[in-house]
Amino acid sequence: MSNEISIEQLLRWRAARAEAEAPPAPRAARLLELARPWWETWPERFQRLVERLGSIQIAYGHAMAEPVEARRSGYPVPTLIVRRAEELETSVCVLYLGVRDGRLRLRFQLEKAIAHMPDTVEATFVAQGFTRPLFSASAVLSVDNEYRIDCELPEKLARDWKELKVTDRMPFRLILRSDKEGP
Amino acid sequence: MDDIETLMERAASLEVSGAAARKAGEETAADGFFRGALEFAVKAVDQSAAGGSLHVRLNVLRATARLSLDCGEVVEARRLIDEASDIEGFRDQRDEWAELRDPSSWPDGWLIAAVRRDPPDASALDALVDRYWKTLFGRCLLLTAHHEKANDLAQDAWYRVLRARHALKPGGNFPAYLTTVATNLWRDTQRFARRAGPMAEHRMSSLDAPVLGDEGETIVLADGLPDLNSRDSDEQKLLAIDIDRALEGLEPRLRDVLLARFITGESAAEIGRRYGRTEQTVTGWIREAIRQMKLHLEEPAQVAGGGELV
Repeated sequence: MSNEISIEQLLRWRAARAEAEAPPAPRAARLLELARPWWETWPERFQRLVERLGSIQIAYGHAMAEPVEARRSGYPVPTLIVRRAEELETSVCVLYLGVRDGRLRLRFQLEKAIAHMPDTVEATFVAQGFTRPLFSASAVLSVDNEYRIDCELPEKLARDWKELKVTDRMPFRLILRSDKEGP
Repeated sequence: MDDIETLMERAASLEVSGAAARKAGEETAADGFFRGALEFAVKAVDQSAAGGSLHVRLNVLRATARLSLDCGEVVEARRLIDEASDIEGFRDQRDEWAELRDPSSWPDGWLIAAVRRDPPDASALDALVDRYWKTLFGRCLLLTAHHEKANDLAQDAWYRVLRARHALKPGGNFPAYLTTVATNLWRDTQRFARRAGPMAEHRMSSLDAPVLGDEGETIVLADGLPDLNSRDSDEQKLLAIDIDRALEGLEPRLRDVLLARFITGESAAEIGRRYGRTEQTVTGWIREAIRQMKLHLEEPAQVAGGGELV
């Protein structure tokens, strides 16, 4: 009897065994609770943060009035970094922005280095004058110390942002928070 | 006023267009067609209540319940099923109705249509999670080689899918999408882990060059490893551990590529498109991954006094 085994057979065998080792599937109610947007879970906090985000725009008014040629990239985007014990006002510099096939690809860097930034943050996009966010997406820190976002956009935004260039004034502000942080 | 037959013909025509649009990934158009079809069908239901045979009424209710599920309108589908259950003749068709009532027997498209709605239908989500949980966990375990990390990764993948559930495509390949989300999440964590470390990008780039050799994609192993069909559970456990360690020893990209090739069944060209590399480069990665797996797997075999891998 031959016991010759190929790598493919080994992997398939291991995969079948791994499937058999699976713990019970999580229930829908728990998953939906986990996936509930943070601004729905803590609406009052979200409103307060939006108000604060609006005030950053005033603080950065001078920088935003600079001619675009004078900067290495586009307008600074007012940003709030939300941590468990603190909220930091800052801005990010958008290095790349592309919308294609309904997907947003965005790279940005914090204007000032901030210690202990997590490798993944949830970036909540908020438009000026709106009390609800546009959407949120995970931003992952890259080897170049840039955060990168690659996500599907709501259809309307995909249309509206299709022509947006990195040197344009961004139609959003950002709230960055650790991926699974509580209130 | 249109008769029942005309209304149902219009509904059927729109349903065909909806199915075609869904298959093509044009979900907005598909949704419009299915909703149009549902409107005609609901009118037909109203007319069938006013008169006509019970048999026709049952057929109209069933077709309308199916259209409701195409639109993700689970509550409406259940209402129609309940309405039908009071009609004489329902029992003769109970198998067909049971399928409509039970989310675990729905196709992915219906489940996804129900999950992407606001609020999502929990029973449809449960059915969808149950359907793919084991496969997803299995893939996560092969990626992480760690039971708890695999569980976290699988849950995280679902969390991400649900966060973007409005964009889910009922006509798409959902299990492939789910696997891709999990793999991307895992790759992101690996990418971060190797920042400025010994696995930095510039070192990985040495793998970009195709590895030329005599080996094909499948290397035959002989003697050294236990029989996969062995009844000895300890032996099987040890083999699983050896495979996990061998996978763990691979650089993340090689691990991903190997699993994509042999577990998902992606071709080198398809993997290449994902990585933005040529088919030849990916073939080189696969050969390199196989070579390293072989080396890892030879060690325990030799320690145990088994034969060598060939």
